[in-house]
Amino acid sequence: MDFTVFLQLLLPGLTTGCVYALVALGFVLCANVSDVVNFAQGEYVMLGGMICAFLLGFGVPLWLCIMLATLSGALLGALQERLTLAPVRHSPYFIQITITLGVAVVLRGVALIGFGKDPLSMPGFSGDGVFEVAGAVVSIQSLWVWAVTALMLAAIFWFLKFTDPGRAVRACSINLQAARLMGVDTGRLTLAVFAVAGAAGALAGVVITPIVLANWDAGIAYGLKGFIGAILGNFRAPGIAVLGGLGIGVIESFAAGYFSSGYKDAIVYGLLLAYLLVRGGVFVFGRLALQAR
Amino acid sequence: MRTRVAIAAMLLAATAYPFLVPGVYPLGIGIITGALAAGTVGFVLLLGYAHQLALGHAAFCMIGGYASAILTVQRGWDGLAALLVGAVLSMVLAWLIAAPILKLRGFVLAMGSLALHLILIVAALELPFTGGALGTYGVPKFSLFGLELRNDLAYYYVVWAIVLAFVVVGLAIDRSRIGRALKAIAAAETAALSVGIDITRYKVQMFVLAAGMASVGGSLGVHYLRAMDPNVYGFTFSLNFITAVIIGGLTSIWGGVAGAAAVTGLRELLRGLSLPLWEGVIMGALTVVVLIAFRGGLAGFFALVYERLLAGKREVKARVVAPELSALEPVQSAASRLEVNGAKRSFGSLTAVNGVSLTVDTGSITALIGPNGAGKTTLFNLICGYQPLDAGSVSFEGQRIEKLLPNEIARLGIARTFQNLQLFETMSVLDNVMCGHHRFVAPEKRNREMARRALAFVGLQDAEDVSPGELAFGHQRLVEIARALALEPRLLLMDEPASGLNDSETERLAELILRIAALGVTILLVEHDMRLVMGIADHVVVMHHGEKIADGAPDLIRLDAQVIGAYLGSEHAAA
Repeated sequence: MDFTVFLQLLLPGLTTGCVYALVALGFVLCANVSDVVNFAQGEYVMLGGMICAFLLGFGVPLWLCIMLATLSGALLGALQERLTLAPVRHSPYFIQITITLGVAVVLRGVALIGFGKDPLSMPGFSGDGVFEVAGAVVSIQSLWVWAVTALMLAAIFWFLKFTDPGRAVRACSINLQAARLMGVDTGRLTLAVFAVAGAAGALAGVVITPIVLANWDAGIAYGLKGFIGAILGNFRAPGIAVLGGLGIGVIESFAAGYFSSGYKDAIVYGLLLAYLLVRGGVFVFGRLALQAR
Repeated sequence: MRTRVAIAAMLLAATAYPFLVPGVYPLGIGIITGALAAGTVGFVLLLGYAHQLALGHAAFCMIGGYASAILTVQRGWDGLAALLVGAVLSMVLAWLIAAPILKLRGFVLAMGSLALHLILIVAALELPFTGGALGTYGVPKFSLFGLELRNDLAYYYVVWAIVLAFVVVGLAIDRSRIGRALKAIAAAETAALSVGIDITRYKVQMFVLAAGMASVGGSLGVHYLRAMDPNVYGFTFSLNFITAVIIGGLTSIWGGVAGAAAVTGLRELLRGLSLPLWEGVIMGALTVVVLIAFRGGLAGFFALVYERLLAGKREVKARVVAPELSALEPVQSAASRLEVNGAKRSFGSLTAVNGVSLTVDTGSITALIGPNGAGKTTLFNLICGYQPLDAGSVSFEGQRIEKLLPNEIARLGIARTFQNLQLFETMSVLDNVMCGHHRFVAPEKRNREMARRALAFVGLQDAEDVSPGELAFGHQRLVEIARALALEPRLLLMDEPASGLNDSETERLAELILRIAALGVTILLVEHDMRLVMGIADHVVVMHHGEKIADGAPDLIRLDAQVIGAYLGSEHAAA
């Protein structure tokens, strides 16, 4: 295998993988504190990119656009939780989860009306230049994506590991019921986690937009691929979910490079389907099925 | 009665529509609505009844659409035959996917079905016989048995006749044993397992059926559009299914029809107002609002209006009358012996049950007692199949059952009750008890009769129409016992049946347990209430710290120093 070609596929794969990883992390964190799989997760990525590119078009300084877009993600995440999930906290999970899908449809629709059908573009944070790694050409914006993702992951994992609310989130992931009984205020925690997940998604959308454009219907694809990472982490393990997200990005890039970009999605989703079929068909049997969550 | 009115209303509306809104375009809308409704009726069964979200359900519309387009254009098949081939293909594929995936918890079927859809879209673009991105053109008008429907009005009626047929199928399922099982699963999965309901099986069935109906809808749509390409049934179409059944109403088959009509109606309205971009926001917002505020949707709203306007208020009464002692027949069983051998179960470093062996003799009332945290409930769950054993075996009537699932164990004639009541809150008391009879495939009349007799046996024959939540706590316990009795058990396992009962209720419970035993039912009781245990048990097993510390007749147990120590502290035992 030609190493340059390999790198030329791996590095951009990691870049999109960063977005999937942050979405996957958002899925897992939300599921940990509320047991809800938030199907609107990918829409925050889309909205982050759209809002930032849109504001930039009006001459707002870049740093302010980035901040406003990220804040909007946090605010929308918090609003989603307060308006659509808090009122139905005691309803069956399938209702709560279906509601998040409705929210996703609303957010897509809002973006379509607010920002229009055409994709928005924005320049790289430090120009649209490229650099070379062993012959492979990578955009400088990729460095921003990697750096921002690394910083955000570091912050979130530090939060989970070393702060009281972080410990509470981890406790919830092991046993939500027990955490509630031990005095964890899951209502407030859920609000905070949805805000953080919204902000992380939006910021990911901001940093990736110079590379891929922002489009009103892109949220679904981000959401789905992040979802795959979350499934690999069983909606419980944030670390595995992040690795899964990165892996999906890389696999997708290799599939596009070595086969064809037309088959890219078929390969990624084919692998997902195969994974689910094998896990359900081979590894879950007998009373284990009752234990698995 | 209500159903007949609804069917009549649908027939009237569907028949009158082409005359009330004449024209080629409105007729086309009617046909498209019908094609969507064929799919949404099935989707209600999936989302509303089986509580499974499928994000890529349009995949099956694609299969139906391509089967119809390719077979009629390239092979010259009859439209109906092609439609059926598509439906069968869809159902087989749905089964292949759902059977393994639905064993996984969480909402992975949503993703599995979406993955299938996205793969099919790529396949449709790349395969040699689909026509690629351009699709397959020149699909003939629909034909059945060689008769081509040249007239769109005739086709409109055929489409809606198929929708009506699907509605009838859906209503039949709603009222059948399967529908009851689905409602039970939705209300309380643990309890559904305890009466022998196989959760995965019914969810898979609904997915397969919904796939077939979506496929038929897809075929019908393509015969109107006269062309099929990968964009006809894209992701938005899947979302359409979801929003339609939610707006239409998840709790009734009619929600599928109402939703299809509402969604197409709304779209046409927005087009008329030149606001087509608003469709997503409005549909999404309606979905969220309906799910939060009024889960019955449009169908629920119509039902409410009908009841307010036309139907008189029903009086429900619930009182406990004297139990009918002879309501149930004695059990015919030779040897309903339960044997547990060296059962072990650990959670992390805690060994909750550590090598416990016990025997419940045929026809006996055996009590399992012990202080809090002794491992009684865990042992109980090991016997009933809710948790896997780390080591040891369980056998019933000579058959090993330690690997069986709770529903399989129930089907052997082992019933259980729960310490924390597990009733199906959304169903009437009678339906709750009828669920108990699930393991027998019998005519509904016979099921109902059995349930009534079980209710009479516990003295609740007047409470059958109320919902369990309206009953006093003690009576809810009786409903659970009646449900267990409707299973016609040979072995009954009761988990702390006296908890939460007052003295006189406990006394009546003791008498009831004795009457159940008198029928020949073997009973294993986990209980805290020593008076109850000592009064009725033939045999007592005592657990402490996960181990069995005593085993024998109640009188001997009462004097056992270790038992007294476990209950009152060792200083009392020494004294």
